[in-house]
Amino acid sequence: MIKPSIKIAVFALASTFFLGACGGGEPEDVNLVDVDTTEEDMDVDIFESPDVDYHLPSPLQVASIFKKSGLAFNSGVTNSPDNVGKYTDELKQMLNFGVYSADMAYCVLNEQSNEGRKYLGVITKLAGEIGMEAVFANEDLMDRFDANIEDKDSIEILMIDIHERTEEYMEENDMQHNSAIHFAGAWTEGMYIGVYDYEHNGDKEGLGAQITEQMAILGNIIKGLKDPKNAGMDLGWIITDLEKIQSTFDGFKSVVSYYEDETAEELMLSEEEYKKLGSLIKDLRGKIVNG
Amino acid sequence: MKKILTITALFGLALVFAQTADDLTEFKEDIAKQKVEAKKALKPYRYDGSKVTYFNFKTYKQVKEVEIYLFNNTDYRFSFNGKSLPNDITIKIYDQDKTISDRVLLKEVSGVQGNNLLIESSELNKTYQSKKSGAERLKRVFVSYEIPGVPGAQNKKPTMKERGAVILVMGYKN
Repeated sequence: MIKPSIKIAVFALASTFFLGACGGGEPEDVNLVDVDTTEEDMDVDIFESPDVDYHLPSPLQVASIFKKSGLAFNSGVTNSPDNVGKYTDELKQMLNFGVYSADMAYCVLNEQSNEGRKYLGVITKLAGEIGMEAVFANEDLMDRFDANIEDKDSIEILMIDIHERTEEYMEENDMQHNSAIHFAGAWTEGMYIGVYDYEHNGDKEGLGAQITEQMAILGNIIKGLKDPKNAGMDLGWIITDLEKIQSTFDGFKSVVSYYEDETAEELMLSEEEYKKLGSLIKDLRGKIVNG
Repeated sequence: MKKILTITALFGLALVFAQTADDLTEFKEDIAKQKVEAKKALKPYRYDGSKVTYFNFKTYKQVKEVEIYLFNNTDYRFSFNGKSLPNDITIKIYDQDKTISDRVLLKEVSGVQGNNLLIESSELNKTYQSKKSGAERLKRVFVSYEIPGVPGAQNKKPTMKERGAVILVMGYKN
């Protein structure tokens, strides 16, 4: 096996001879020209991280926190795996990769393994569509899932492995900017599930606090979506909706009072504020999952 | 004669390029191994993700900051691996970002180079509560890497001896 760098050296040497041969037999005068080095100076060093960065929690952690806050399992609230065929453009595929990841975490944590298995199937399918098939290749994840279907802990470890492999694959292939798109889908779905349970099951003080706590992440998701490397994607509509959610939330009386009081413990919205926030989340979620 | 010289020069350049590519590949491979080590140190906390912060030592001091969320009812462990550092750096953890002048310093660690260090959110919370009266708990922390200036460093075209990285692996108690 030849090292890539040796290959490069051999290629460079061969190119040198080839270019030399093209020049003919007679030595030519070397013309000195001014070289514009601006572009060279502006080269992005992939081994230089931004001065300000952030870490977003995994879908499994978000689902786990919601569960600890009292979130119940509501059958039918997740996005149906049957919808996967609707997602034909890349953006919808990426967003719903995130949506289905959140759904899978929700099912697995609530011991709904058969549902979780269906989500693993659609996540694998979408990964293939968005250029991440390698994350799921050469590993019979479905067999591993089936072998451990009764063991919630093993299935959770399988989910962590998938998350880690996705993270590594995106870093190795300079696709980290896309993770904000996946995360936007996962965040919206997590919030949607939380809002649904809050609205339908009542007496959920912890859950209400968790919904507001998850709002803290939103600013960095929007920042990630605005990464110039995502410029080719039609993200305007989702950024607009997320910014609307953010500005509506920031304008709530409860939120303003909370930030004015440094000793305030947990942020709790009024019923009317929860309703307004919930309505915006549901609208956005509808746009993401409805193809 | 000119052509021979040109070929020799280009061959030399190709070798330098190949060596640099080799060094970078090795650098990345080392980071992958160190991430595994940092992840092992998380146990029994559950892995949630990692953040590798890359930088080049320059002639002047630099600061790179990573924001991490801490959610209710959850304990976190942070595993820092500094085995890809050619020089030491300082890790400082604050309650707020660097634009806030009166932010609270929760933890300061030096001697990161060559080591794997663990920090837990419970410890940060205790410090936070003791330093800020009436404070309940941390909802996020800002990990600040203070990278000292190195005399003679190549600021524009860093060499391998100036390249460094800190691997941060995060975990939560299930």
